[in-house]
Amino acid sequence: MATEIIIPSDLWEGDEESVITAWLADDGAQVKEGALIAEIMTAKVQHEISAPASGTLSIAKEQDAIVAKGYVIGTIE
Amino acid sequence: MIVAGFNTACDGIAREMALLQLEQPAALLWSSATPTLVLPAALMRSPHVQEAAAQAERAGFPVVTRRSGGGIVPQGPGTLNLALVLPAPPGFQLEDGYRLICNSLAEALTRFDIRSTTGECARSFCDGTWNVLVEGRKLAGTAQRWRSSGSGPIVLAHAAILVTRPDAAHWSVMDQLHRAAFPGSAKLCCEAHVALTDLMGEGTNPESFSGALARAAEDRLSSLISREVKAA
Repeated sequence: MATEIIIPSDLWEGDEESVITAWLADDGAQVKEGALIAEIMTAKVQHEISAPASGTLSIAKEQDAIVAKGYVIGTIE
Repeated sequence: MIVAGFNTACDGIAREMALLQLEQPAALLWSSATPTLVLPAALMRSPHVQEAAAQAERAGFPVVTRRSGGGIVPQGPGTLNLALVLPAPPGFQLEDGYRLICNSLAEALTRFDIRSTTGECARSFCDGTWNVLVEGRKLAGTAQRWRSSGSGPIVLAHAAILVTRPDAAHWSVMDQLHRAAFPGSAKLCCEAHVALTDLMGEGTNPESFSGALARAAEDRLSSLISREVKAA
């Protein structure tokens, strides 16, 4: 079963969107749980996203995409 | 509180990142000797920004990148940097990081009878919601980096405080880089900013502000951490 990589919904107060500033692992790469895989930016904050599980990364939203809180930007299977 | 003078902004940023890696509460006040422009690494991907950065280098202003958000920030002897690192307490949000650093600055300023607010400032460098303003002019810009760790996020909150306003040459190069990074944006305006030397007058040593800021920042950081320990 795939584990979703989700933009945190409780990290900031407002409804401001964030930008995926970098994917640090390639689509299809094998990643380990806890490894740094992406960075997002909102309100001048660069925030690291770690892999929520080990497995094969599937990127759903590319670098520079604008995403809302709770949005699924990829999965790990 | 660690107080440090570095030759370049690169060294200061590297020290901040090293503190972030340690995942322990820390406070760092630093400045650098060499006039430099600093911008988020993500902006440097643009060929227009790369070209403007090369022009800045030729004009004598090296451009270095940092791994936090925002826009272009002038660094050098006229900029004092405050960096606070802490493991995020439960429920801590991005806005809390900004409150921590902006309120530290506000408290230090009140020691000199200077009242500050937070908010946006049109035509200022690295504009955002959490600038520290005095009479509507920007004194400091802030940004953060949140690092993932096994025990929860580690926060690096940073403020760049103008001790003196950048000179005309620094300003011009910064504006070129700013407009390459943010096409269509308005020209940066020196008068939108205010520096500690403007506010404190010639008789006051800016070093005394550093001391007040160090105390205010450490007090707030300690208070946050001790509240967390008590809650646990």
